[in-house]
Amino acid sequence: MALSTHTTSSGYLLPSIHSAPPFFTQQPNSSTQAVVTEHWTRIILGYARHRRLFFLRIEDAEVAGGDWDEVFRNERINRRLLPDHLQTILASMAGKSQAVYEPPKQTRAVLLYWRRPEEWAEVLHTWVSSTGHMNTIMTFYEITDPPVESPLSGIPEVLLRKAIAILAKTGRAQMIGAADGDGVRFFASGGK
Amino acid sequence: MALRRYTRSVDGSIPIPALLYNDEELVASQDGVGIYDGLVKSPDHQAGSIYVSTHRLFYIDTQNEQTRSFAVDLAHVTGTEYYAGLFTSSAKTTLYLASPNASGTEGGSSVPSLAEDSGESWECEVCAYRNPPGLSPAAARICGLCGVPRSALTVPESSRPSSSSSRPLSSSLPSSPPKSGHAIPRAEIQRPSSAISCPACTFLNHASLRNCEICSTPLPRSDSKRAPAKSAPASRPDSPDNEDDKRFIKVSFRKGGDKVFYSALKRSLKGKAWEIIGANNAAAAPKDADGHKALSRSGIYGILKVVETSAHTRDSDLQDSLKDLEALMVKAKEMVRVAAELNERLTATSTLAPAGSGLQQSSGTSTPATTTLIPSTEPEEATFIRSSLAQLGLQMANTPVTLDMMKDERRWIEELARELGQVLQGTGRAEQRHSYTLSSADEQAGSGLMGQRGILALDEVWGGWNRARGVALIPPSTFLQVLPHLSSFTDPPVRMRTFASGLSVLHTPPYTDAAFAARLTSLLTLAGPRTTLDVAQEERLTVGLAEEMLRAVEGAGHVCSDDPASAIRGTGTGGQVRWWSNVFQAYVWDGQIEDLAVS
Repeated sequence: MALSTHTTSSGYLLPSIHSAPPFFTQQPNSSTQAVVTEHWTRIILGYARHRRLFFLRIEDAEVAGGDWDEVFRNERINRRLLPDHLQTILASMAGKSQAVYEPPKQTRAVLLYWRRPEEWAEVLHTWVSSTGHMNTIMTFYEITDPPVESPLSGIPEVLLRKAIAILAKTGRAQMIGAADGDGVRFFASGGK
Repeated sequence: MALRRYTRSVDGSIPIPALLYNDEELVASQDGVGIYDGLVKSPDHQAGSIYVSTHRLFYIDTQNEQTRSFAVDLAHVTGTEYYAGLFTSSAKTTLYLASPNASGTEGGSSVPSLAEDSGESWECEVCAYRNPPGLSPAAARICGLCGVPRSALTVPESSRPSSSSSRPLSSSLPSSPPKSGHAIPRAEIQRPSSAISCPACTFLNHASLRNCEICSTPLPRSDSKRAPAKSAPASRPDSPDNEDDKRFIKVSFRKGGDKVFYSALKRSLKGKAWEIIGANNAAAAPKDADGHKALSRSGIYGILKVVETSAHTRDSDLQDSLKDLEALMVKAKEMVRVAAELNERLTATSTLAPAGSGLQQSSGTSTPATTTLIPSTEPEEATFIRSSLAQLGLQMANTPVTLDMMKDERRWIEELARELGQVLQGTGRAEQRHSYTLSSADEQAGSGLMGQRGILALDEVWGGWNRARGVALIPPSTFLQVLPHLSSFTDPPVRMRTFASGLSVLHTPPYTDAAFAARLTSLLTLAGPRTTLDVAQEERLTVGLAEEMLRAVEGAGHVCSDDPASAIRGTGTGGQVRWWSNVFQAYVWDGQIEDLAVS
């Protein structure tokens, strides 16, 4: 049975393995399952990056009609990813720092790290310097929802705070507490 | 003389427990004894075993157990004497014998031998209770339920003489029968003038009545009988007393055991088990006149009591029947031996027969006509006998290996493994030629338990093996010990393997994990995904076994499964797992390549 790749309506190229029915079954053999999980992780992160999706919930596999339908359901072979299977995949991703449970202390929703927080910190710093906001105080809203679309558009506040915290460690940013919302000031480079 | 007069011949080939009456018990036994008839040795009874029960003494001859064995009623024994033996003379026990009728007291406790009658069941005329056979003569005389004497109604007088006349003693003493007949129970009512109790309803009738006033039962006539009863002692001189000195037999204990046996004999004699029922009866009879004691034996209370005791005896009967089973087992062993012998002889003749026919072809006329007959008829008969033996479970090319044949356990296990190998794979090519299987199809398929199949569940093997053994069954623990040795006695080697579920099987090399995985992978590659059912059909396995094997192969990572539970439509309630060759193993990513650059 020849398997073929498939391009979704959103333009994402699904691998050929996605059309193999066993791919949707949780394999009893742990080494086989490791391969399956690895491919699923790659598909999920790739698709998240493609669609700029930051969150993934178990419900996405349970209920049809969400952002993830193209990935979790394969109508051509009549297969879908079962919530249990997704949960083990998410657990594996959280273990490898490819995602983090958000909010913490539950296992039904994750924040996907298709860029690691360190990478996001770099992206943020580059963007700030390129837009000339150095040494000025910026609100979070200005970063997540800039008038001109940026790589950071739509970034969840949780992730943004992590990125800022990383910059603050190296002295490139400073959190400023304010009554009506937090602000942040960026510095050109290490050292004040 | 005493020997012939007082003893009754018994069939000694029957085990002793089967010879006993229902209410009789075996007390002691001793082998290696000889019998003296009077002072001289009895030539026919010099090597045998002696058994003493509560009622009788048995001598079972070792050589001619059917013809020379005999039994003596302990009721005949009037006294015993014990001689401890001296130098070459072995210990002896002397039994003084006398006719119980001649020497008996008036109490009627003496037992006229009803040996012929005790062998059959009879119905009580009063309560219609069917009395079972097999009771001792004393017990058989009265109804087991209501306690009424057996022949009280129909033949109070006529049956007694006839039955006693059949005894060897009575037949040789023509004078005694009428007297002994009169000396029996109901006759001796102590008060001559007063009433006669009805034997059926115990009503006290007037002495002059012939039938009971209440139930019209014929009454025993008292006055006609009392006189002979008193004259009973007079019958003693009539009997041939000149032989008195010879009225004893001696038991000579050639192999010891005399003391134990003698004390057991004394106990039995003292117990007077043969008198107990008769005594009860006798005690009830005289007191009928008073009308007191009779109630304890008859009436509702008596019946209830009898029912109660019969429940007890039923319990003991059950234990007795287990003893019978033991006796049967002894016979069964013999039968198996006979079957094996027969089988051997058949094998010998069937191998001879072809040789004979070959000879005939070569030498022409010289062969006698009989050999021409044998080849034509013998095979049919032989196969018939063999198939009958096989159906009886007695087909034994070689008798089952048992522990007592072997010196040490290790060798035993190995022999068992060899035997199991033969059971599984047939008895080898040489013997397959004259295989015992009836249909030729079976013969081609291999006569062993495994036949064409390469894999067998352990329970089936165990059951089949024990069925083939028939006797001396193998316990599961031993069976498991044998299995590791099996591979060295089978060709191709049969090994055991245990699946993850705990199911254990015996299998030939094609059913090892590796061989099966290779076959399965090529099947899946060629024909695409398959369900468990398809695989089971392809491999000619049961579905359960196929499932186990597929799970094992999946565990090794050679295949992967597609569970229809993850279908979008018609979520697989009836769907089956489909097996795929491992599509992940050699898979190279061909999906979207991430643009790692910051977009």
